[in-house]
Amino acid sequence: MIRRVAIVGYAQSHHQHNMQETREDMVFEVCKEALHHAGILREDLDTVVTASTDFLDGRTISSVFLSMAVGAFLKDESKVEEDGTFALYYALMKILTGTHDVALVEAHTQGSTFNPHQITFYTLDPLFDRQIGVLNDIAAAALQARMYMNRYSVSEEHLAMAAVKNITNAAENPCAHRKMPNVSVEEVMGSKVFYDPIRELMMSPISDGACALILASEERAKEITDKPVWIEGVGSCQDPYLRDRNIQNLDSLQMAARTAYKMAGVKEPFSELDVAEVSEKFAHEELMIYEALGLCQEGQGKNLIKRGTTRRDGEMPVNPSGGALGADPICATGLIRVIEAAKQIRGEAGGYQVPGVHRALAHGQFGICAQKNTVFILGGNGS
Amino acid sequence: MKSKSEIVEVKALPFAAGFNWSTGFQMQRFIQELANRKILGAKCPECGYTYVPPRSRCGKCYTKIGEENLINLSGKGTLVGYTTAYVKLDGQGNFQDLEEPGIIGAIKLENADSTIFMPLEGIKPRDVTEGLKVEVQWREETKGELADIRCFKPT
Ligand SMILES: [Zn+2]
Repeated sequence: MIRRVAIVGYAQSHHQHNMQETREDMVFEVCKEALHHAGILREDLDTVVTASTDFLDGRTISSVFLSMAVGAFLKDESKVEEDGTFALYYALMKILTGTHDVALVEAHTQGSTFNPHQITFYTLDPLFDRQIGVLNDIAAAALQARMYMNRYSVSEEHLAMAAVKNITNAAENPCAHRKMPNVSVEEVMGSKVFYDPIRELMMSPISDGACALILASEERAKEITDKPVWIEGVGSCQDPYLRDRNIQNLDSLQMAARTAYKMAGVKEPFSELDVAEVSEKFAHEELMIYEALGLCQEGQGKNLIKRGTTRRDGEMPVNPSGGALGADPICATGLIRVIEAAKQIRGEAGGYQVPGVHRALAHGQFGICAQKNTVFILGGNGS
Repeated sequence: MKSKSEIVEVKALPFAAGFNWSTGFQMQRFIQELANRKILGAKCPECGYTYVPPRSRCGKCYTKIGEENLINLSGKGTLVGYTTAYVKLDGQGNFQDLEEPGIIGAIKLENADSTIFMPLEGIKPRDVTEGLKVEVQWREETKGELADIRCFKPT
């Protein structure tokens, strides 16, 4: 990269189903806290990038009332649709060009205001799939899960094991939404079935939440903190609309990861990464993500979960924070993964800290069947 | 935490918009030809990828697909994926339990590359397998509407 850029501060809300707080108050609190965490003032910000989706916010030009809440009063401000990792990518580019040195990146969704699964129906082809009327994100995920399971002999129990790992991890994370420390494979497999094989506890919960992160150029980062978390690599890619892609594979995630690995000089992700925080909206996606990230061979994701390799105390911990199955304030979920990865590097993850993290991966996604994916590789002195 | 009474609940979207989208000539032809119990696809003149419903451009090789590239598909295909739906969304954000679970099939039509997602009937969920041969079921009177395609059934 032409300039080194680091994460120097962050904050996130206590994600929950119905926060009973205005969107503006929720966002203000995390932005204020992120500035405090970095030890800088609003005056130090050169630019602010936010991420949300108008449909999820229930209003169009949905950032219009947020500029004051995010600290962008009379500053350069822009909004990116969808996942917060896309906003982070944009903020990174703004700093890389040299026009800005310090950026605040914010992302949020209050999923409780209107069922976000209904909204996914409106992302379908209006001239065909919407009129046929059978699909939504859960139905599509179920089709994807079954195709993947048939192809690689993956059982419902493997899916439940992935859910148990993440939901159990979430119990240690004070910001996570789901609090089920004793959840079992039987409980997951006995939870309400929506679209076979997808059951309630294999789906991310509908959460309200926000997060904010401060990004700075190398010079400013070193002034701000003695624990900068460097962005070593980034990659982003998108698949075609679900009719014209192989939904049983996450091709765009694989390509995004390869780009990020190349930039960061990662050759063997399994041995070179100390932790990964990924956006698995459904339990089966976690196994597919292992494969797309190259943490195992194609079709071998089930072995990582079966052997406990990706547990917090395993060889390659994935989602020690609980991941998206622990909390899913939709547009914030990817950026929360970046924050969780940074916390691991700085040794700030408390009860779910993985020892000795120097290099971490964070993944954000958006769209039905994880259509669009962004991967960040972060590095630091280690916890 | 605030009490529930302090929250103003706005129950409806601010407006309900009917959008007058252009369908494009392929989609128009596709819908019209349903009246004749025909399913049209669009075969890319460059790479051969066949889109259904038809499209006027191929994103894979970035080529324009013309009206001359529309082809007739048989209405027969193969099931490449499936799920059993136990719920449906009512359009207002509520999940409703289905009295009778329904099957959604991911179907590749003969000579087409796109996958379409359709209701599958005439088979029990436990008997559904990948690779099942299926066929379109037309409604009694076809009118040139998407509703002319009632569902798919095993052949
Ligand atoms: Zn083509």
